Amino acid sequence: MGFVDYVQAIIDGLLFGTTYSLIGIGFTLVFGVMQKINMSYAAGSLAGAYCGLVGPQLMGLPPWSVFPLSIAASGVIGYLIYLTCFRFIPLASPLATLMSTVGMLLLLDEIIVHSTAGMPQNYPAIYDGDPIEIGDFMLRADLVGVFLVCVVAMAVLLALLYRTRLGMATRAVAQQPVAAQLCGMRLQAVNGLTFVIAGLLGGVAGAMIGASVGMLSPLIAGPITVKGLIVTVIGGLGSIPGAIVAGLMVGAAENLFQALRNVTERDIYVMLLLFVFLVVRPGGLFSGRGHD
Amino acid sequence: MMLEVNDVVTAYGKIEALKGVSLSVDPGRITCLLGPNGAGKTTLMYTIAGILRPRRGSVRFDGAELVGETADRVVSRGIALVPENRLVFPHMSVAENLAAGAYLRRDRAAIASDIEALLARFPVLKERRAQQAGTLSGGEQQMLAVARALMSRPRLLMMDEPSMGLAPLIVEQIFAIVEELNRDGITIFMVEQNAHMALKVAHKFFLMEQGKVTFAGAPGDVAEDDVIQRAYLGSAKAR
Ligand SMILES: Nc1ncnc2c1ncn2[C@@H]1O[C@H](COP(=O)(O)OP(=O)(O)OP(=O)(O)O)[C@@H](O)[C@H]1O
Ligand SMILES: [Mg+2]
Repeated sequence: MGFVDYVQAIIDGLLFGTTYSLIGIGFTLVFGVMQKINMSYAAGSLAGAYCGLVGPQLMGLPPWSVFPLSIAASGVIGYLIYLTCFRFIPLASPLATLMSTVGMLLLLDEIIVHSTAGMPQNYPAIYDGDPIEIGDFMLRADLVGVFLVCVVAMAVLLALLYRTRLGMATRAVAQQPVAAQLCGMRLQAVNGLTFVIAGLLGGVAGAMIGASVGMLSPLIAGPITVKGLIVTVIGGLGSIPGAIVAGLMVGAAENLFQALRNVTERDIYVMLLLFVFLVVRPGGLFSGRGHD
Repeated sequence: MMLEVNDVVTAYGKIEALKGVSLSVDPGRITCLLGPNGAGKTTLMYTIAGILRPRRGSVRFDGAELVGETADRVVSRGIALVPENRLVFPHMSVAENLAAGAYLRRDRAAIASDIEALLARFPVLKERRAQQAGTLSGGEQQMLAVARALMSRPRLLMMDEPSMGLAPLIVEQIFAIVEELNRDGITIFMVEQNAHMALKVAHKFFLMEQGKVTFAGAPGDVAEDDVIQRAYLGSAKAR
């Protein structure tokens, strides 16, 4: 292992890190409007990706159908999570939604395990091309595909937030909920919609994780929940740019640590990275300023 | 009567902040609500605006019942509230804050021309149209909050302590704007701590103490000193 390999590891990590960015954005969006963490978010995204497999496996649809189906299913799951874990739960109690969403996390996990008998499921790659060589380095074509899809998802999100009426309502509720209502925005509608948007992004992330690993396994629900939360904290709760940067950072760091040490140790170092941030910059890269 | 509040009781948990409030606002006039801290003035404003739900009582606007309506329905009926502490959207530009005020409107062209008209009316905002609202001074934020409320084209404009924490010169400006808006035909219902200024512009005023209306009249009905005394300190009678 030499210098070239380490740089290569960082490149791969940055490409894959966009999936973490999306998960981080999802956590942050919901936190922005509700000031609450949705612990079941990553599990819901994974469950959405599993639902996508129903298309090719049970309905005889072409393999690519798995991607739109995964995304749509995850959006629906996002709304169901809102209804079951937030809508009718007393929001004044900080523990209530934590309990309900952890419960949902476990439930989703169980459903996945039972419906697949715990067996990993193959998931198609987004793009099967030859690697692109640039000097000593090479870009894995499937990871480039993942990267591009995630970047497009982020661009669509930002356009939605900053160019549409619904996006304005989402930002208004995050910044000043009482004034948002006085402007005629409906809190519950905006909250529900935010869960759907976060869910759709999670569906993209779940699908792209499946596509780059080549399979889905219930075992990845835990790690992506943890990585997503780490990204959210490092980026600064409520900050979208923070989540994007932190996602890339965590993706690059974990791949580098994996190359430097090995796969069993890498998460220790990612946790250490979180620790360093909590000590040095507890507010995160872009300390939570709402959707700015 | 444009707005009629009848026997409204609003509570936070077990504590009743409004204990049966009744008052009315006449169309085309400026009505002021005075009272000491904690009297329940803000609670009444939020109850009318549909942010808080009363335990009982009725709020009628042009004859239609508002109790049970959500805040967005109240706005679409033609009531706008400039809330206590302004509550501008801190990470949105001045222009975006104004656009947010027109959230329920669909007439894009008219919205854009209303924004320009309001920026012309509030020159301090015009110079800062692209600036983040959170970085405006208190007085500028107050102007923005008023302008944002006007973006919904209300028939009744409610204002909760628009002069709070502002320098005398700015307070004068705010009151001048209030009178101007009223001349343009907008009915005003305003909470004020500055009783001296309030009594100068009001056609009618109410005094609220400890969750009840304890006096209603026109300025001039009573000695100003007496009103000011009760507005700031509360009367012995209410205790
Ligand atoms: N969110 C709340 N929870 C519990 N009690 C509240 C809440 N908001 C207000 N109160 C109480 O209700 C009463 C009336 O408050 P309100 O804010 O309506 O008074 P106010 O007349 O607007 O006072 P000020 O002049 O200081 O703005 C006070 O006793 C206050 O402590
Ligand atoms: Mg008040």
